[in-house]
Amino acid sequence: MLETLMQMQKRLGETPHLLRLGRLFSETVLLEIAEAEYYLTFEKGALVSIEEGPSRKTPWRFAFMTDAEALEAFWQPRPAPGFHDIFGLVKTGRGRIDGDILMLVKNLRFFKEFMALPRKGDLA
Amino acid sequence: MTAALEPIIGRYVTVTLGGRPHRIYFEEAGEGPPVLCLHTAGADTRQWRHLMNDAEITAGHRLIAFDMPWHGKSLPPEGFQTEEYLLTTEQYIETVLAVTEALGLEAPVLAGCSMGGRIALQLAALHAERFAGFIAIEASDFQAAWYDIDWFDRPDAHGGEMGAALVSANISPHAPEAERWNTLWMFMASGPGVFRGDLSFYTRDDSLVGRLDRIDTARTPVHFLVGAYDLTCTPEDTRRTAAAIPGATVAVMEELGHFPMSEHPEGFRPFFVDALGRMPVA
Repeated sequence: MLETLMQMQKRLGETPHLLRLGRLFSETVLLEIAEAEYYLTFEKGALVSIEEGPSRKTPWRFAFMTDAEALEAFWQPRPAPGFHDIFGLVKTGRGRIDGDILMLVKNLRFFKEFMALPRKGDLA
Repeated sequence: MTAALEPIIGRYVTVTLGGRPHRIYFEEAGEGPPVLCLHTAGADTRQWRHLMNDAEITAGHRLIAFDMPWHGKSLPPEGFQTEEYLLTTEQYIETVLAVTEALGLEAPVLAGCSMGGRIALQLAALHAERFAGFIAIEASDFQAAWYDIDWFDRPDAHGGEMGAALVSANISPHAPEAERWNTLWMFMASGPGVFRGDLSFYTRDDSLVGRLDRIDTARTPVHFLVGAYDLTCTPEDTRRTAAAIPGATVAVMEELGHFPMSEHPEGFRPFFVDALGRMPVA
C-alpha cells in the first residue's frame, strides 16, 4: 500500500489541474485501511509526506477508513456499483469518513480525484 | 455554407406562480404526442438535449422541457435578492401545471428525473387527469439526505463546485467522459442556493409516501427507470416505491447513474424508447 501511495504522490505532482484544484488545501488526512494507518500531509495541493502509523500523536483534519479489498474494487477502471465513489463505499458500509467533513466537502473534487488516481493506470 | 442547426427551438413564456409573474424558458423539438420533460435538482433543460436531438424519437413525439424558476435561463422572481429559495411540493406542482397550461399541452406524458421524478409521482397521485402517463426516472417516494444540504450555500465556499463534486458520486463510470463533465457543469454553474433549495424539497418533504395508493396505473401508466450506479435514488428505493403502486413497472439500467439522459445518452436511449412505448397514444 505504501508503494501505491507513493505512486499516487508522484502522479499528483504530475497532474497540474489537481494541484490547481488543491491550491488552498494544506491539511493532514488519515487514510486507514483496515488496521493500517497512513497520515498524508498535503501542502497547497501537493502531497509532501506519507507517514505510516499507528500514531496517536499525529493530528489530522479528516479521515477516510476502508479496507484493502474495497479499495482494490474502487481502483478498477470501471468499478461495480457502490465501489465507484468514496461516498458509495460509505453508503454500502465499506468506508467511513471521520473528522472535519466540511473541509473534505470544500475540497471534495480534489480529494476524490486524488483517491481515484490509481484508476488511470496500473498503480494499484 | 452554414453549419447544421440543431432542431431544438428555445422560447420564453411568462406564467403566474404564487401570484407573481415568472419568465420561464422552454425548449422543444419534434411532432406528435407531447412529452413534458423535467430536469433534476441543480440543473436545467440542457439535460434533455440529446433526446431532443434524436430524430427517431422526435419523429413520433413532441419533446418539451423547461427550466424551473431560478434555474438555467428562467429568472428568479422579482425581489429574489432578499429571499431564501426553498422549493416546496405545492410550488413545484403549481409550476408544472402552469407551464402545461401556458403551452396548451393536452394530456402530455410527464417524464421527470430525480426531483422531477418525485414531482411526476405527486402529479400522478393528485392530478393524473392532466397527463397521459408518467415516466419516473431515478424516482422514489422519499429518502432523507445522506449529506448536509447547507454545505451547498455558504459564503465561504463555492456551492456549485461542491455540489458537482458530490453528485459526481451518482454518475456511472460507464458514462462517456465528455458527458460526465457536461452534466457536472450544470451543477457548477447553478445559482447560489438553488441546489440547496431544490434539495430542501427532495430530502425533507415525505408527503408522497402517504399518497402512492392514489395512483391508478389503469388510467395513467407509471414506468420507473433507475440506474444501478445511483447512490441517491438506488434501485432498492425505486423498487420499494413501485411496489406500493399496483401496476407500476420498473427497468433497472445496469450501466447508468442518476442523470441517465445527460450522463450517458446512448445508454439511456433504448430505455426511454421502451418507456415511451408503454405510454398510451393520444
